[in-house]
Amino acid sequence: MLLTLDLNDPRPLHEQVAGAIRRAIGEGSYRPGDRLPPARDLALALGINSNTVLRALRDLRDEGLLEFRRGRGVSVAGRVDGRALLVQRLRDLLEEARRHGYDRDDLITILEELS
Amino acid sequence: MNPRVAVALVWGLLVTVALILIPPLLRDRLPDPMATHWGPGGADGSSPLTAALTAQVLVWVVPWLIALAMALRGRVLVRRLGRIYWCAAVAFWSVMALGMAGTMLLANLDVPDWTRAELPGSHVAALVLVAAAAGALAGFLGRGGPDQAPAAGEQPPSLRLRPGERTVWVSRIGNPWLVAVSVAGVATLSVVVVLGLVGAMPGAAAGTALPALAITLVVALATASLTARVSEDGLAIGFGPFGWPVRRIRLSQILSAYPEERFPSQVGGWGFRGMSGSATIMLRGGECLIIRYRSGGQLAISIDDAARGASLINALIAERVEQ
Repeated sequence: MLLTLDLNDPRPLHEQVAGAIRRAIGEGSYRPGDRLPPARDLALALGINSNTVLRALRDLRDEGLLEFRRGRGVSVAGRVDGRALLVQRLRDLLEEARRHGYDRDDLITILEELS
Repeated sequence: MNPRVAVALVWGLLVTVALILIPPLLRDRLPDPMATHWGPGGADGSSPLTAALTAQVLVWVVPWLIALAMALRGRVLVRRLGRIYWCAAVAFWSVMALGMAGTMLLANLDVPDWTRAELPGSHVAALVLVAAAAGALAGFLGRGGPDQAPAAGEQPPSLRLRPGERTVWVSRIGNPWLVAVSVAGVATLSVVVVLGLVGAMPGAAAGTALPALAITLVVALATASLTARVSEDGLAIGFGPFGWPVRRIRLSQILSAYPEERFPSQVGGWGFRGMSGSATIMLRGGECLIIRYRSGGQLAISIDDAARGASLINALIAERVEQ
């Protein structure tokens, strides 16, 4: 599972982790029923606290994306629906645009130029 | 057909023919039953002449046919280590089968009854040495070209890293069969402990069983599952259910990484395989992450999602070089 965190992102860390996992699942790293790596491994790799990862995993469970099973760890319950993934990507894009000095309206203008 | 298989086929046929045709020529000079097993005090086992001679043929023919079937239907000859194992095993066993039949016939030749048959220990030692030498030679001759010499223009998979972001890769695999072995180990261990406590088992037997079971258990647990992490620090491989012990490989040691399909039959089985420089950590056949070291060697780890892991390693190496 490939996870990317933006080091300058002002959002709470657990939200960023949840976003990264959502993206990884949406991009096809994991199919429904596959087991996720243990939260401890994710935390070690990202260099953050295990509790932050667990909080992100719980958020995704409440969203219906993950499923916690006793003795079987955390597995993917459903497919990320296209809209949720798009919203995630657009949020990332908006964040990147702001860093380059563009705001929401500028992005909309660029989008309209594209079509 | 692979030339190794052709050679093994022709050579094996010769061995089979020799094992079938030569002993009956000596039939009149052999006792019936003939001696087939020797202990420290001389011959201590016998079997009827026909059964003994048939067994000599089967002991060669069955493994030979299995080896041929593996080579024709499986992937055993695809990689160099597999070719070495296969050629060496066929050569070693053909010489052993011939030698065992030969020394047994010699020992039984012209003795009045089987208890007088003598087998000098030096014959056995010489036979094992010759067979081992034949195996080593065959493995050397049949080794073939090296595996995946970096092809000209080979492009390792990579991905684009953006500044200000931290990208990591995490994956794990477990082998349910190895887990089952561990569970069986725990079960047997507890039975032995209970039997020892109630005094139903002699102390000496429990004393030898306990360490063996404990070692089996620890090894099985440590190799039943595996976690891998790639970050700016490099690759960390954690063994066992707790991800400990950990083997760390720094990015500066790695030349490149790539995914490849590999199978236990190509590397000599499950677990930790091969020597340093061409080692494999094989928990299940299929997708593996191959690490090519700057020092020239490589390490293969069977793991899911290896393509993404390899891309990230290559991207991190490229980023390191740029800085």
